[in-house]
Amino acid sequence: MSTGSSHNGPAPVWTRDAIRGLFDETNGKIDPRIYTDQSIYEMEMEHLFGRSWLLLGHETHVPKPGDFMAAYMGEDPVILVRQKDNSLKVFLNQCRHRGMKICREDNGNAKAFTCSYHGWAHDIAGNLINVPYEERAFPKSFEKCKWGPKQARVDTYKGLVFANWDPEAPSLIEWLSDGTTWLDHMLDRSPAGTEVIGGMQKWVIPCNWKFAAEQFSCDFYHAGTVSHLAGVVAGLPEGTDLSDFKLPTEGVQWRSQWGGHGSGFMVDNSSILEVIMGPKVVEYWTKGPAAKIAEERLGGPEHSTQPVGNHMSIFPTFACLPGINTIRTWNPRGPNETEVWLFQVVDRDAPAEIKAEYRHHNIRTFSAGGVFEQDDGENWVEIQRVLRGHQAQRTPLNCQMGLGMSSHDHPIYEGKIGYVYSEEGGRGFYNQWVRMLTEPSWSTLGPQADAKAAE
Amino acid sequence: MRTLLKKPVAPLAMEKVGPELQHEIEQFYYREAALLDRRYYEEWLKLLADDLRYYMPLRYSRVVRHEDEEFGPEDAFANFDDNIVSMRGRVRKLLTDVSWSENPASKTRHTVSNVIITVTDIPGTYEVDSAFITYRNRAEHQVDIWAGERRDVIRRADNKYGFQISKRTILLDQSVILANNLSIFF
Repeated sequence: MSTGSSHNGPAPVWTRDAIRGLFDETNGKIDPRIYTDQSIYEMEMEHLFGRSWLLLGHETHVPKPGDFMAAYMGEDPVILVRQKDNSLKVFLNQCRHRGMKICREDNGNAKAFTCSYHGWAHDIAGNLINVPYEERAFPKSFEKCKWGPKQARVDTYKGLVFANWDPEAPSLIEWLSDGTTWLDHMLDRSPAGTEVIGGMQKWVIPCNWKFAAEQFSCDFYHAGTVSHLAGVVAGLPEGTDLSDFKLPTEGVQWRSQWGGHGSGFMVDNSSILEVIMGPKVVEYWTKGPAAKIAEERLGGPEHSTQPVGNHMSIFPTFACLPGINTIRTWNPRGPNETEVWLFQVVDRDAPAEIKAEYRHHNIRTFSAGGVFEQDDGENWVEIQRVLRGHQAQRTPLNCQMGLGMSSHDHPIYEGKIGYVYSEEGGRGFYNQWVRMLTEPSWSTLGPQADAKAAE
Repeated sequence: MRTLLKKPVAPLAMEKVGPELQHEIEQFYYREAALLDRRYYEEWLKLLADDLRYYMPLRYSRVVRHEDEEFGPEDAFANFDDNIVSMRGRVRKLLTDVSWSENPASKTRHTVSNVIITVTDIPGTYEVDSAFITYRNRAEHQVDIWAGERRDVIRRADNKYGFQISKRTILLDQSVILANNLSIFF
């Protein structure tokens, strides 16, 4: 990887080869310009955010016909709307006349979306249905049906709502690859499914979105070393201290077969879950009647009640901590900023007391003011600040943890598995990142293409 | 007795209290602000009652017709919803050497103003509304400024400061939080 001077000639042109050179998977090296370069960011907007399944929210954010929630796909504002036939639509929050938002609220229930500029009115499906002075002022050739806001593909997975601009992209279920196992660990423990503990928290972190996404794919390491010591202390029972806390050390990390997803968790003790969520949630998750149902539904304790402290990232910007049940989308705002949109789910049929515990401890630990989340924000901000430096931008970063140390023959867990302290999930993330920016056609990029190649 | 968020736009208490009570409660608030700015967290904890609820609801942009839904309902997710136990945990975190988001510490300045006091039926218990502008600077270049309203229930207490806070509802004047975290108290 070149760290040579850029004094000779103009700024780099990001050819496909140049992009591939930014991530050296074989040797575990990252060129930090992926986190700072404006033209790379713009390529991400077109080739990555323009073609990926992006998490918007949960079905219970919009339960009734007419319910809507404003959201984002990349930097594009969209509206998620429940239709009369109970389907969901997602469309660009942009009037096709001069581009004003047709919905200026964060959420609510609507019978129509009317632009506040010239009064163009749209139904809840996003069809343009009324244009003031249409008869008198518009030519006969003007056809309303062609001028509604741009529609996205919408699909759901066990309550989670995703959208994608690209009609050629794989289906959502194909996109999720073998990540559905670990999503089910959070979303499919009960026949009643999950629901949101209402609302969406939003805050702005001045860092590149990929730091956050990668961390959730592979970084138990930061939690098991120093990042969250004080967060742990905040949750210790009174009269105990860190010397009484026995952090688990046995666990696995998983890298998806396709798509850049990653997850990891511990298996030897539940202390990390207990210090975050408290003993009642741990009991509910690992031992009580709901846990027994989860074990049956998910094929045994190894996939339901034994894994704790799960972290997970679904490429590109959906991250979650199953068990804690915090879910978030990293909305990019330029290469140097991310707007976090966070919500929380709970089993729909959990007892009221358990739902209250979930709510209390999530707000306490994983929210903008959360005793764990606060310290993540600190690291990412300083990293981005350091990367203003010319030398810093050209000094390769080490991504070698677990290099060559994963395999497909774990006795219990399927897929590419290694020790929990690893960056294999992160290398998978960056591998997919490179592919999205360098492979224009799904005929090579898609999961079926990979499966075919493997044959 | 008010519930925490009876109405986002609360009716104003028009009956004025006497200057002595007004002075007492304002002085209490100034001392509370000084404790936070000087980072005397254990001392600040003594100002919080055992039945504390410290609550900052989420806030949304809604049209005026729906302004009663501007703040998230009380069982929805929130920016803060602490009781005295979780608040003690937060202070414990701050007192370690390893609370990275506050070590080095933020430089804060809590300014409190617009104190409007309502005497309640319970002797010694007051509903107090106040406005705040809280400034934070971190490291070299980070500046965060928050404004908002606090709706407190305070009661007389046998401590140096004269009162304890039983309920604090913070209505922040932001919907998207325009800062990397909320690692300080309001």
